[in-house]
Parts: sequence; C-alpha cells; structure tokens
Amino acid sequence: MAHALSPARGSLPPPRRRGDTTRTAIRGVGELLLTAGMVVLLFVCYEAYVTDWSSAAKQREATAQLEDAWRNPRGPVDRPIEGAGIAKMYIPSFGSDFVFTVLEGTGQDTLAVGPGHYQGTALPGQPGNFAVAGHRVGKGSPFNSLDLLSSCDAIVVETVERWFVYRVLPLRQESIDWARGKATQPQCHGVGPLTGRYADVVGKTIVLPAQTEVIAAVPGQPGQPGQRDMALITLTTCHPPFSARQRLIVHGILVAQYEKIAGQRPAELLTVSA
Amino acid sequence: MYSWIWQHLPGSRAMRVLQTLILVATVVTLLLLVVFPWVEPRLPFNEVTTG
Repeated sequence: MAHALSPARGSLPPPRRRGDTTRTAIRGVGELLLTAGMVVLLFVCYEAYVTDWSSAAKQREATAQLEDAWRNPRGPVDRPIEGAGIAKMYIPSFGSDFVFTVLEGTGQDTLAVGPGHYQGTALPGQPGNFAVAGHRVGKGSPFNSLDLLSSCDAIVVETVERWFVYRVLPLRQESIDWARGKATQPQCHGVGPLTGRYADVVGKTIVLPAQTEVIAAVPGQPGQPGQRDMALITLTTCHPPFSARQRLIVHGILVAQYEKIAGQRPAELLTVSA
Repeated sequence: MYSWIWQHLPGSRAMRVLQTLILVATVVTLLLLVVFPWVEPRLPFNEVTTG
C-alpha cells in the first residue's frame, strides 16, 4: 500500500494474455480434484470417528432404558420391540470394559445405536441361534476386533434374569487336533468340534453377504428351528473393514448359564483368558 | 476458484483470513451434519448383516 506504483485492487485488471483462459480452466480442475480429495478424507474421518460420538450417546441412552426396564419389569414380553434393548453383551477378551447393549432388529438406525439382534432368531439362551450383527468401523464399532477372537473366548450375555456364557467354537484348522491341543486348556471346558448336523459349524468363517444360512438355527442349514437345536450364538460384521464385499462370522456355543444374583458377576467376566 | 474467492472477500488481509476460516468451518459443518449423514446409508461400506 505504501508503494506508489501498486494500483488499487480491482481498478486496473492485468492485461489478458493468450493462454490465461486455459491456465485458469486447468487450475480450476486441479482445485476441484484437490477439494474432492479433501472431502473424501473428511468422509473417512466422519465414518471412523464422528459417528462414534453420536453412537456413544445413543448407546448410553439405550443402556439406561434397558436397565430401567430391568428394574421395573412390565410383565413378560413375548416379542421384543424393534429398536429396544434386549440384553447386554460382554466380551472379556476385548477388555473388562467391553459391554454393549444389544437391540432388537438389524435396521441401519438400530445398528447405529449398538449391535442388533436378527429378528426371528433365538433369544439369548434359547435353543437355536442367537444371531447379532454389529458395525466394525464407526458407529461405536462394537465388532471392530471380531477377527481377533480365538476359540474358547467367552461371549457373555446378560438378560433380565440370567447370565449366559457362550464360547467361540474351534476354528477349522484347530478341529482336527482339538483333543490333544486346545481342549486341555481350562477355558475350553465344554467347547469342542461339533458333529452331526453341526459338523460344518466352526468358530470363524468369512462368507458372502447373501449367505443368510449362517444365522439359521442350525448354521449352514436353513430350516425350521426345533426344540432339540443346540443353543448357539452368531456374530456378523463386515469384512474386510471398510468394505461390504464379505461378512465375518463368529459362531459360539452356550457352555454355562447362571441365575442373576444382585451385585455378583459370573467368573467368566473376572478372568480374562489369554 | 480459490483465488477468485480470495479476491472477492472484502476487508484487510486479517479480515479475509478470518472470513476464509469461517467459510471452511461452514462447509465442514454442512458436510458432517447434513451431507455425510444423508449420503452414508446410500453407500455400501457399512453393511454388516447377511441377506
């Protein structure tokens, strides 16, 4: 401004030269591409972090409502309401603070609050398959580390009256040598390769999105649930992370259940297997 | 595009920096609160269910 020769802004446009238009157009495209890149990066941050904040608040609210419903039971419910909390799920090998309220239904709005129970599949502890879907990335990412679960890891489900302890089934490569291998470890009591109708059910599988039979009462065999079915748990999430190409499936089997006693937690929640 | 916006912002350099920050914050807020929540269910990244 102090410089006598500098023209006042806008009063004297610089002389246009040939090529200016092209240069402006190319620069404009470049700027648009850079901007698009920044927007995509921001979207990744949104998916991975920002959705966690709102989901955490919703999950807290759902948990408070579930605990309130447990304290003031309104009589038996034959079918849970979609979107309402039905149980709490603990996975001690993910840390003693890993607890999520599982809600009824697997719609997008429900899954944004927490893991969702596939409607029509068994309820916790019932014969059949208690099937639960959860996000792997963002939205609280309850099933972020599902791929790290080992066989015999506990998945503890708390309902209004009972604790149910499920354990991850042997992995495919462990099944052959199970009796001499992992079966000797204390946390594997009650866990072993399944036989008969269940022979194909293993701890962890990766399937295509359309393979709904993994949540059937007898996984892999679509059909009517029966009273003689085993009590299983199935967790589903996306695979690989950030992708919808496949689904990661974890199957577990009910090994124990306890009546709830005020102030007491099952031993499975206190000892974390290595 | 950005130089055009910069040239058309009024005021001193400090004022223009301030306005730029406000503009960026507005765009980011709009993206995070309106655009992304709208676009997200239409993208397939977050399908975790079978079927």
